[in-house]
Amino acid sequence: MSEPKLTKDRRLPGFLRDTHIVTIIGLMVLVCIIMMILSPSDFFSGKNLVSMIFQFPEYGILAFGMMACMIAGGIDLSLVGIMNLSGVLAALILKNMVQMDGTTVLNPGMVLPALILAIVVAIVVGAACGAFNGFIIGYFGLPAMLVTLCGLQLYTGLAYGITGGPAINGMCDAFKNIANGTIPGTGIPIVLLIFIVVLAAVVFIMKCTVFGHEIYFLGSNAKAAMYSGINTLKVTIMTYMFSGILGGISGILITSHLNSAKSSNGSTYTLLTLLIVVLGGIHPDGGKGRVLGVTLAVLLLQMIANGFSLMHVSQNAKTFANGCLLIAALVLSVVLEKRAEKKAAAAS
Amino acid sequence: MTTQNQKLKMALTSTPMILIYVIAVFCIVVSIRQPAFLSPATAINIGRAGIFTMCFAICEMVVIISGGIDVSFPAVGCVAMYVPLYLNYHGMLPDNVFAFFGLAMFIGLIFGILNGILVSYLKLPPLIATLATSSIASGGLILALGTREFTTLPPSLEALYRVNLVTYTDAATGFTYPLTILFLVPVALCVVMALVMHFTMLGRGLYAIGGDANAARIAGFNVRLLQFFAYIFCGVAAGATAMIYTTLMHSSTTTALMGDEMIIIAACVVGGCRLTGGHGNVGGTILGVLLITLVQTNLNMLGIPTSWQTFAVGLVLLLGAILTSIQAKRQTKLGKI
Repeated sequence: MSEPKLTKDRRLPGFLRDTHIVTIIGLMVLVCIIMMILSPSDFFSGKNLVSMIFQFPEYGILAFGMMACMIAGGIDLSLVGIMNLSGVLAALILKNMVQMDGTTVLNPGMVLPALILAIVVAIVVGAACGAFNGFIIGYFGLPAMLVTLCGLQLYTGLAYGITGGPAINGMCDAFKNIANGTIPGTGIPIVLLIFIVVLAAVVFIMKCTVFGHEIYFLGSNAKAAMYSGINTLKVTIMTYMFSGILGGISGILITSHLNSAKSSNGSTYTLLTLLIVVLGGIHPDGGKGRVLGVTLAVLLLQMIANGFSLMHVSQNAKTFANGCLLIAALVLSVVLEKRAEKKAAAAS
Repeated sequence: MTTQNQKLKMALTSTPMILIYVIAVFCIVVSIRQPAFLSPATAINIGRAGIFTMCFAICEMVVIISGGIDVSFPAVGCVAMYVPLYLNYHGMLPDNVFAFFGLAMFIGLIFGILNGILVSYLKLPPLIATLATSSIASGGLILALGTREFTTLPPSLEALYRVNLVTYTDAATGFTYPLTILFLVPVALCVVMALVMHFTMLGRGLYAIGGDANAARIAGFNVRLLQFFAYIFCGVAAGATAMIYTTLMHSSTTTALMGDEMIIIAACVVGGCRLTGGHGNVGGTILGVLLITLVQTNLNMLGIPTSWQTFAVGLVLLLGAILTSIQAKRQTKLGKI
């Protein structure tokens, strides 16, 4: 590291030296203070905490997919499309395999196999969509933005064509419980567990595997990565496949959470995941960023969204605020980068 | 002799020619299935349907050539079509065509300046910056003015709507197909932009900064100013186009244009604009718009249900993008730029 070493900094753990992470933690404290003044009894209640936990995993997992692609120097705008396509397919499988009469299941023996099949299909479809994106990007050398924008249109169109427009509703209770239930006896939401498992897997892949390091390498300099013997096509395909798998998992969660699957669910999530990723300190040009930053950004945005809904502010105000926040985050990262450059220049 | 053959081969397999083949094949297939397709009425319908697609595509083309991208124009357009009618409804804006279009273009200008500042001065990634502008515009609009739907036009716009260029009456059915005077707007815009892009320093500068911003800077172009121009032009023209949309569709809502960005970008890319910048021209974009409009308006004639249209447009876009990439590789192989 060419950063000037200050004795004060040496004692701090690595992540606290990351200005983005410090900023996010600062913002979180700020939100807490504001909410403490505005409505302390609502915001800090256990009920509110649990309701927050039920909301963030679906877009938090999407944000990890966006993060992997952006670190690799690309972007994945098709995540919402992948999410809805895999959600629709999972819902179709459940509807066809589990016969329902009102809310009672007529063939209970089929529930578990149907559930497993639905989840496997959702993840496999996500992986396939992602691999398709990655192949087109890597093989034809097209901009990731264009390909994934096409992908969004394709996968949304596919989901729309399959459903024909109306949402698929009324899946069995076992499926609903994935995103709405708690672990029996403990009161811990199942989604929290899923989110932690996914988070652990993402951290493991990004930090401890060769593939993770190749993603960073590809993002910081694709040409150098190629000349140093990395199969860039393979890494690109795998990165987008990874992102697609996360999209598939998120598709199961959102379908289960809303108990309905259609092609236009979660259309605001594209902007939201971009915001999370940029706020979390992932550099838009690739090569830089930490999983921890993204995780904290997910929590921060959930706190803000929750604050908004406690104050009874409309969805549009949220969109407006998210747009402003995105620009602020981008400007902040530009300013920080310039300052770091100046420091480095002064030190050398 | 061989070079002549090669030139001919290049000309016959260039992107615009491939587009023309595709359009011809599409028209032939549709007219075999539906003989009614071959009539002046179809031409007028496509002309009508293509008006705003064409205008938006020219806006987007300029930005793409300059090496950026603008996904905020649908939201900006919605603001530009909604605010004038809202103000008029509340008696704060005189009922005058120039006032409506003027205000719409002014709103476009403001958002264009915002995009310009974000992209050219702060050097933010254009996609993310314009996505943010988009959410600020659409969120802010509904937040400030609420959601209404204006379906009746003020008299001055209604009068403009009634001015027709040609009216074709189908002898068999008695239906009339009017072609509005506003059709001249995209025509004029295309001619002017084709001239500007080809023969002025401004146009050549836009190509230069899209091709290689650094080289353009060293060659003496003011990169920031040119980028600024691209976004401002896009905003202003999008504002005017949104007003045309309101006039023709008799509708002004806060979300009317949302989601259109994909189709417009598709039209540009299919028409040979490269998202990496520096490539593309008005002729190709016109062909791209023609193809997309044909596909959109005539898919049901081919027996494809409307619910698969999104998918079909996505497929056309993807194939167009792959085609451009293959063409680019071929051209570099043949040593042509």
